[in-house]
Amino acid sequence: MRGIVKMWSVTTVWMLISLIAVGSVFAGGAQEAEMAEERDTLTIGIGAEPESLDPVNMTSAPAATVGEHVVERLIYMEEDGALTPMLATSWEANEDSTVWTFQIREGVTFHDGEPLNAEAVAVNLRRFVNPDVGAAYAFLLGTVESIEATGEYELTMELSQPFAPILAHLSHSFIGIVSPAQLEGLGPNDTFEIPIGTGPYRMTEWSRGEQIVLEVNEDYYGNISEIPTIEFDFIPESSALIVALETGEADAIMRVPPQETDRLEAIPEIEVVYESSVRTIYIGFNNEKEPFNDPLVRQALNYAVDKQAIVDGLFDGVFTVADAPVVPAVFGHESVGPYEYDPERARELLAEAGYPDGLDMTLHHPTGRYLLDATVAEAVQDMLAEVGVNATLETREWSSYLEFTSQPPEEAEYDAFMLGWGTVTLDSDYGLYALLHSRQWNPNGNNRGFYENERVDELLDEARVETDRETREELYAEAIELIWEDAPWIFLYNQGQINANRTYVEGLIHHPLENLSAWDAYFAE
Amino acid sequence: MYQYIMRRLLLTIPVVIGVSLLVFSLIRLLPGDPARALAGVTATPEYIEQVRERYGLNDPVYVQYGNFMRGLVTGDLGVSTFSRRPVTTEIGERFPRTLTLASLSLLIATVVGVSAGIVSATRRNSIFDNASMFVALVGVAAPVFWMALMLQLLFAVQLRWLPATGMGGISHLVLPSITLGMASAALMARITRSSMLDVLKQDFITTARSKGLAERVVIYKHALKNALIPVVTVLGLQFGILLGGAVLTETVFAWPGVGRLLVDSILRRDYPVVQGTVMLLAFLFVIINLVVDVIYAFLDPRIHYQGQDN
Repeated sequence: MRGIVKMWSVTTVWMLISLIAVGSVFAGGAQEAEMAEERDTLTIGIGAEPESLDPVNMTSAPAATVGEHVVERLIYMEEDGALTPMLATSWEANEDSTVWTFQIREGVTFHDGEPLNAEAVAVNLRRFVNPDVGAAYAFLLGTVESIEATGEYELTMELSQPFAPILAHLSHSFIGIVSPAQLEGLGPNDTFEIPIGTGPYRMTEWSRGEQIVLEVNEDYYGNISEIPTIEFDFIPESSALIVALETGEADAIMRVPPQETDRLEAIPEIEVVYESSVRTIYIGFNNEKEPFNDPLVRQALNYAVDKQAIVDGLFDGVFTVADAPVVPAVFGHESVGPYEYDPERARELLAEAGYPDGLDMTLHHPTGRYLLDATVAEAVQDMLAEVGVNATLETREWSSYLEFTSQPPEEAEYDAFMLGWGTVTLDSDYGLYALLHSRQWNPNGNNRGFYENERVDELLDEARVETDRETREELYAEAIELIWEDAPWIFLYNQGQINANRTYVEGLIHHPLENLSAWDAYFAE
Repeated sequence: MYQYIMRRLLLTIPVVIGVSLLVFSLIRLLPGDPARALAGVTATPEYIEQVRERYGLNDPVYVQYGNFMRGLVTGDLGVSTFSRRPVTTEIGERFPRTLTLASLSLLIATVVGVSAGIVSATRRNSIFDNASMFVALVGVAAPVFWMALMLQLLFAVQLRWLPATGMGGISHLVLPSITLGMASAALMARITRSSMLDVLKQDFITTARSKGLAERVVIYKHALKNALIPVVTVLGLQFGILLGGAVLTETVFAWPGVGRLLVDSILRRDYPVVQGTVMLLAFLFVIINLVVDVIYAFLDPRIHYQGQDN
């Protein structure tokens, strides 16, 4: 029985502990309220944790958003797509654009005190393209043959062939320059946790699963940021993300679900920000499989879907109907659409193609990957039913979905699949070449629907190497017209992004590349 | 007793091997390629192949299992395919957080559950009894997810007493541990009540009362000691369940423990982390069960084990 007596006294002790705990809860709460008054920390709630902040291992948008504050690139892409100097102050190409010379900014030091020079940049870029390192985005610099420091502050890059979008590619968030001291002695598969860059903020802490903390870089070569500390908190559940903003635990949050905007708009201390994005959502057809190898069928299904109703009904008009395979902000975009909603025309085209009684198909879609993706698929299903197309919906969890839609043509079982693509370089090459050139068929690339048009291939090849901007625009315009006519996808909509912040936060940059940047932010009274 | 403990410890070996086989094969039976999940939608085929090579995903399954078991024995659980950090580091960082959360939940569950159970039993069929048993029923039945959101709305958004998400002071622990402990508290209340009612019917209680002892002494000194034996068993098992069951709570409250690590890792097809985490939780569950059985034997002298000297 002694055991029980002990056990009972243990319970009593626990009761005491819990009383103390309750007491300190209220003490803790008060402390927090005080801290909010001072406001020296900007807390940004993001849904997912970065996988890594080592440039060669970065693959996600959250990694880009956090990383941009710490590590800089040679070139910065403004919100309107303009390319402006960052660590490179100027650049020029030889006649046929195969040799590029960059002037590296002088007087810049990394967060560890190391100086920035051309050699430091070269070391970073060589690591990025080194096949043994295997950077996920090494293909961005796929045409680069050599990288040399040709002066203390002069970097020369040779390309294997003219490659027009090279500058846009160099502005990509993942091609960051870190301190050469950090890379010294790293093997090809080695990595680091906390990047040492040149950015307006230095990273001081990464508490896994919880948050990343940044402190302002007082030695920054540009304007010193006003807010001393930035915290990125990882809050996976979107309802909890919104609660965090409502309570002020977070000062800004990213990726607000459209159905929550009304609730947030009603709160005077909260500002909801709508911004365009570079992501197009589409339903790709298996162009190699009957009946979707017939352009008439593909066109018919485009006419059958009321894109405007989806945008208005599900996304409160925040998103826009796609009028091309890339979003309007992308260089080379040509407005050729949309396919107006016309069920009558859809039925005619189906009859013409030999399906007067409609047809059966399976529509594969992800759930929870894109905003309301499953709901959109249901809406499309209803609309297709109107014209006699009986679509069965099938969903898979994301990683198996990706695998399922990556099969080579002879093994691909799908009729149609819903996907999104962000043209993050804001250049049509990144959007059209990867998705619609016949060399990019599964499993070689991302042409998952096996679209092939010889003329389109030619135009996309030419536009890759053509350096004259106007000529490039013409080439893309022609390609987009042909693609639109062939209708390899159901062109759906351009996704927007919705962020929200407390009204006392000013100067946040909501970038179309789905980054939220806080280096110009400050607290208003 | 010593023999008994040794035998039980040896029995954990086949259990752990069984769990390892199950986890290892289940995650590989799931459709979805870890390399592709990591690389994302824009990945090139070369890159995907490189990732497979790097993490040994191209090896035959039995080779992968052999490597995994060898690592398990030497304490090397491999490297996360997502963060590229050692699995032991990933788990080591997060396990204390889950342990804290589960311990506090268990504390709340015990204090609330046992007290409510005692009062209910001694005032059987009173309003308090009916009310607390109704609340207990709701506590067991309410989905954790819903409960969490309701608590957030009330205490974080409306009243502003407590933070809704994240880690920090002890105030951050209150809502998650109440959420997590709710179902356990309800279960404990019901078990304490029924066990107490059983004991109160026993002859020795009648004897105690007829001796003229104060009711308070009868309840707390004589009845409670005996009524708590089944409660202690449940308490131990609940601890194991709380450790492994914090998944939803940790997700809603953005509490970075092993539960959330497990869910995230399944979605990322991060085989090494999933294997490591499940192995740890299974092992803990086995150990806790063993400890409960041993405590049980100490508490109740009537219990004998095979092989024990009489």
